[in-house]
Amino acid sequence: MSSSSRIVPLLLKIFSPRKLGYTLLVLIGVVVITFFIRPPGDPARVLLGQRADSASVEAMRQQLGLDKPVPVQIWIYVTNLIKGDLGRSIATNRPVIETLKERLPATAILAASSIVIATVLGILLGVMAAWRANTWIDSATMTVSLLGISVPAFVVGLLFVLLFGVVLEWFPNSGYMDRGVEYLVLPMITLAIRPLSIIARVTRSSMLDVLGQDYVRTARAKGLGYASVFFKHALRNALNPVVTTVSAWFAGLLAGTYFIEYIFNWPGIGLAAFNAIEKLDFPVIQGTVLLTAVIFVITNLFADAMYAILDPKVRVK
Amino acid sequence: MNGEGLWLIAWKRLRKNKGSMIGLAVLIVMIVMAIAAPIITPFDPDVQILEYSVKPAGFRGTVIYKKNPSDESRPVILAVDSYVIHADSVLYNDPAGEPYRIHISKLQGTSEDEWSDRPLFLLGTDRFGRDMFTRLVYGMRISLTVGVISQSIALLIGIVLGSLAGFFRGWLDDVIMWLVNVVWSFPTLLLVVAFSVILGKGYWQTFIAIGISSWVDIARIVRGQFFSIREQEYIEATRALGYGSLRTIFRHMLPNAAGPVIVLATAGFATAIIAEASLSFIGLGVQPPTPSWGQMIKDGYGYIALGTNWGMTLFPSFAMAIAVIALNLFGDGLRDALDPKTSQR
Repeated sequence: MSSSSRIVPLLLKIFSPRKLGYTLLVLIGVVVITFFIRPPGDPARVLLGQRADSASVEAMRQQLGLDKPVPVQIWIYVTNLIKGDLGRSIATNRPVIETLKERLPATAILAASSIVIATVLGILLGVMAAWRANTWIDSATMTVSLLGISVPAFVVGLLFVLLFGVVLEWFPNSGYMDRGVEYLVLPMITLAIRPLSIIARVTRSSMLDVLGQDYVRTARAKGLGYASVFFKHALRNALNPVVTTVSAWFAGLLAGTYFIEYIFNWPGIGLAAFNAIEKLDFPVIQGTVLLTAVIFVITNLFADAMYAILDPKVRVK
Repeated sequence: MNGEGLWLIAWKRLRKNKGSMIGLAVLIVMIVMAIAAPIITPFDPDVQILEYSVKPAGFRGTVIYKKNPSDESRPVILAVDSYVIHADSVLYNDPAGEPYRIHISKLQGTSEDEWSDRPLFLLGTDRFGRDMFTRLVYGMRISLTVGVISQSIALLIGIVLGSLAGFFRGWLDDVIMWLVNVVWSFPTLLLVVAFSVILGKGYWQTFIAIGISSWVDIARIVRGQFFSIREQEYIEATRALGYGSLRTIFRHMLPNAAGPVIVLATAGFATAIIAEASLSFIGLGVQPPTPSWGQMIKDGYGYIALGTNWGMTLFPSFAMAIAVIALNLFGDGLRDALDPKTSQR
């Protein structure tokens, strides 16, 4: 098993200048794509409407910097970004960065609580299904998880609103948790359904994979009990692909928050983005999308590290 | 290795997979329904009978067909409470109880059977009095079209870029993989939303936005397959024989990468259906009055909070869930059938 003295050089290898440099290159690409998120045609004309006179459209173009050539615009966008300036909302004239700062905690709480629930329950269900493979417990778990994968988050959200919010009246179906923790329950569970299902499936198939390996058979042949082999040997090794899955699905989860926040009126960055989309307030859309992508890139960097620490094969390489 | 034999083996293994066959059957039924939509649905998808708006499933309402001077084949539909034939006129009360008189010559067809009807609104009506069942079936057309077109775009981009990267390697591989990593940094649904903002609302814009958001996995898998295939003897043989790159890629390498690509495209098909519905749900995507499942869910959503007319949300939701589950079941079976590793077990 790895000691901490081995982990440090390992981390240095994972977060090598080369790796960090490449991440920076990817982030530059992300920023350039984000820059192009704007309504088609002349954004100034789109924002002011068809009846606006050409003088005010021209003024708007100058205000947005649209009168300059595109490469110059990108350069200005990038340099402003480095200074922490994401532009101003067209609708409210408020700096986008302030909106993001204000909205991020709500999204973070929602995403973090969901991924915790999804991981814990997902591994539990997956292990249960593998433990009783090919029984009704297994097939029931797999059927439910197939549903969880197939039904989009916003539909699950609507069904939960209907069932738990309207019919049973167990939980409030719209609003933020500053009015009470019960407001977190429905959005959190809704968001967790999809990653939970995927984690359960990956855990199950990974467990079954490991249980078929030679060293597990050897352990059994040595006379170790099934439960001991299952939990001590198999489970530990089966969790590696689960870690990768959890981090990979964090992306889907972040996109999911957008729809969940919209349905449950949860004041995070997703709700800010969707409100901005309705008004074509593109600096806000750019800011939210960029933030999500950056979080995702950084999460992946750490996921790689986690994976390397957990997997001896990667560690040796 | 005979190509045909390989596919035959895969099909035989696929046939043994119960879930996959159920999925395939459901998909075939859906495709047939989508194609035969005008025959199996009682109405035109955009026709509105405002008097019969927001009716529950199983509702029946009497209607009279009035001649439409501008288009003979699409009569005007009048909702009526009751009617009597009086000489050469029809006297009727509309659902609000107001009495009207109309001359028989102004009605569609020649007999009472032709101009009057009591159609069944199998799944009820929406807030414009449009038949839910009809719109659901026409929405299926949109969803299937989205899947086919967006995946064709994704396959085209993914296969071309993946092949180039996997075959030529070097700096070309570096550039393409950089692009792959950049696009991959955005969650797919968010990328679809972003491209929809860039391209604008509409039918084709939606297809393209979904297509150009979902090629990354395909490019990755094609590249990976090429990396492993490239070193095998039969590819070395093509080089020794002096075959051109294009011939080697298309005739000898791509067919061997086909399995995983088909599996990915099936999964992508399901994702595309979800993406279209999600876009329509937030007001981007296919625009009204085109019937789209996401649009229908959005329309019905307002009624859920009121606790009435759940069907307006539930029916399109179920339709979408069934389509996606069928695709996933079929895709799972396909993956097992095409994976040479499972055959050895």
